[in-house]
Amino acid sequence: MTLKEQIKQILIEDLNLEDITAEEIADDEPLFGEGLGLDSLDAVELAVLVQKNFGVEIKDMEEGRPALQSVQALAQFIEEKQGK
Amino acid sequence: MTLLKQPMAIQGIGCIGGFGCGNESFVAALKDGYSQTTPIESTHPTGQRYLPALLANTDRLTDFVPRRSLRRIDHFSRMALLGGYLALEDAGLAVEDCGRIGVIVASGYGAATTTFNFLESIIDDGDSCASPTNFSNSVHNVAAAYLSMQLQALGPNLTISQFDMSISAALYNAACWLEQGRVDTVLVGGVDEHSSLLNYCYQRYFTDSVVAERIAPFNFEQQSAVVAEGAAFLVLSRQPQQAKYGVIDSLVAGDFNQSAVKIDSDLLLIGADGHRSYGEIYAQLSTPQPVYNCTPCYGSLPVGQGFDLAVAALMLRNQECYGIARQPSRESVEVNTFNSVSSLKCTANDQFSLIRLSRQECDHA
Amino acid sequence: MSHVCVSGIGCLCAAGDTLDEAVSSMMAGQRHAGDPPLFEASHPHTFPVFAVRSFLPETAGDVFLRTSQLALNAAQQAITQAQWSGDELRKLRVGVCIGTTVGSTMDVESFYDEYRQSRDPEMLAIDCFLDSNPAAVINRHFGLNGPCQTIVNACSSGTDAIGMAAMWIESGLCDVVIAGGADELCRTTYNGFASLQINSPVLSRPFSVDRCGLNLGEGAAVLILESEQVREKRQHIAAQGYVLGYGSGTDGWHLTAPHPEGRGLKQALAEAFAMSGIDRQQLAFVNTHGTGTKDNDRVESLVLADELPTIPFHSTKGYTGHTLGAAGAIEAAFTLAFLQQQQIPASAGFSEQDPEFSVTPVLENRAISGEVALSESLAFGGNNAVLILGKGEL
Repeated sequence: MTLKEQIKQILIEDLNLEDITAEEIADDEPLFGEGLGLDSLDAVELAVLVQKNFGVEIKDMEEGRPALQSVQALAQFIEEKQGK
Repeated sequence: MTLLKQPMAIQGIGCIGGFGCGNESFVAALKDGYSQTTPIESTHPTGQRYLPALLANTDRLTDFVPRRSLRRIDHFSRMALLGGYLALEDAGLAVEDCGRIGVIVASGYGAATTTFNFLESIIDDGDSCASPTNFSNSVHNVAAAYLSMQLQALGPNLTISQFDMSISAALYNAACWLEQGRVDTVLVGGVDEHSSLLNYCYQRYFTDSVVAERIAPFNFEQQSAVVAEGAAFLVLSRQPQQAKYGVIDSLVAGDFNQSAVKIDSDLLLIGADGHRSYGEIYAQLSTPQPVYNCTPCYGSLPVGQGFDLAVAALMLRNQECYGIARQPSRESVEVNTFNSVSSLKCTANDQFSLIRLSRQECDHA
Repeated sequence: MSHVCVSGIGCLCAAGDTLDEAVSSMMAGQRHAGDPPLFEASHPHTFPVFAVRSFLPETAGDVFLRTSQLALNAAQQAITQAQWSGDELRKLRVGVCIGTTVGSTMDVESFYDEYRQSRDPEMLAIDCFLDSNPAAVINRHFGLNGPCQTIVNACSSGTDAIGMAAMWIESGLCDVVIAGGADELCRTTYNGFASLQINSPVLSRPFSVDRCGLNLGEGAAVLILESEQVREKRQHIAAQGYVLGYGSGTDGWHLTAPHPEGRGLKQALAEAFAMSGIDRQQLAFVNTHGTGTKDNDRVESLVLADELPTIPFHSTKGYTGHTLGAAGAIEAAFTLAFLQQQQIPASAGFSEQDPEFSVTPVLENRAISGEVALSESLAFGGNNAVLILGKGEL
């Protein structure tokens, strides 16, 4: 599974997005507000999930906001932090 | 009895538990005198492999709330939401009318499963990877918060935690709000959740007891409690003409060594739910009126008195006696008309709660 | 609402083990924070906390959570100050109304861990939870016989407990109420707030542009409320203050974020003013919730600017940490003490104005004039509660 696919799987399973499939989440779709419609509680939950699954820390929402814009942005952030 | 300055009219009832959900299912179970338990497999090697429990199913909640909105909401809060929505529906109140209602939720154990899930995430994933969603959903007032969000009920909102005295505690506050005109309507009720850990604790505390499939409420020397979950909600108002089920006109809670328990009503419902340690107290009760018990229908849980209030209300409206009558009864089991039912709950440290419901003289059928 | 007299106050928190100690310490600008003294946690940084310094846990014989011990200590202080004997109290209808969060939660981490590993832990943790309901502990200790309940409304529990107690007296359900709040520092809560990214790694900076979260604290405060009839017979005992009004409102917005325009808080304020008959211009000061989180302080500033733009305000959480269920009660106790002394301490932790805000807290100790003040609390779940308090007679 690619990193983006992994991220989509985590979004669906761990944030309980029952009514959507990975294929339906576009890589550049906004995660917050419009698009997937996640909120501030999902943001901190995602920060924990990113730490757990990829060992990458999002230490506050200053850092988090750009990183969590979309699946694409998050994948890039993770790869950068992992030094790939 | 302590009369309330302003009786509280019971406008609607909503219940969910081992009997299903809604008044019809509840009355069916009450007429049977019990609800069928589900065997729960233990997740721990100690004790019985299976323990009977009375569990609640919240599938009907999607009649009221879109599934997407329930995404993060756990079983505990779902039970409360469903109980609340059913009570409002029964009261004929639309969600749009809920802006100024007060909300009070009572719970003994709170969101137990989610609390333990949060502990689990700390233990398994470490302190820095604990789940914030679990933490937020574990706070005791989470159910009242979701009710206020879904109903857009922006008035006063309280959550009470007082174990078996939680329901009467909640009613004290409802009585004050209504009497002082803070709100005209209060959605008040109790919710408690079953969990494997609580099951385990039950087994540890009662290792020498035979596990009962059904509560034997009048066998006061036997431990026959059945662990249960559910939610029971009432819609109360200041307007007597809205008393679909009568009124709550008396409420007293205290220490029965210091206050005599004076029961002044036509019928008495006791909340004996199979816990032997409280059975003694009920056994000593000497009352002239017919005594009934409905705990085998909804089980043993801290907010059990909420269900008894629902039963009392249904009895008054339908003029039928539900549950199990104490045998041998001192009165003939056939009761013609009755105008008042009291609910008595006795619990640890000699505490009791006595709540009376009375028929409104001119209530509409 | 008729004026409900406060005849006694008990308080313990990081700033002091009594109300007087706490007030002196705050006026001296002291912030007694440190690492959590009773537990450890493994985060990249330690979050400073405000512990009750000299209150040691009781010996193993007592099966009470620290929260209930704190509550009982505060209740004892208050009853002593109010000069009630146990016998006299037991002749009256005395209610107990205590707010808490930890005190009612099964934060039984080691028990749960052992259970999960299929071991059989000692039942002590569960016994303790079942026996430690804070209101029940106080009720049993004094042998009382009135309404007794624990309110668990997250961070507004203490304010709601005092407000509801005043309502019980107003409705004639009680002659006296022992009302307040208590909460202990707890590993589970510490980790919970860290997971939400609102536990600050530095001392909190309420209302400051560089604020980055709250510090947790612990403590308890109890007020003895009395009806007018009871008060009439006890005029020789000085009133510590009065509860003049109580309002509450719910945001109905989000589980952890406040309504962006503070609609629940505005409703609570409106109700408190209406109930008390007090004009807002009479307020000597406002003791805010002021936790130091981005969201809370923004919303409170907005509401203060809209509703109370000329009234001095501060946060005392820079001296106590956020004591959760105890906060509203501790801050009510502080507000009454500040009214007595006609001075308020500076809002600790402030360094620079947030350009989004059009109001600024009090930055130095300030003399105040006036007989009425306001204390407000905002909670998870969207509860907002406000008390309007009146000066006593000392």
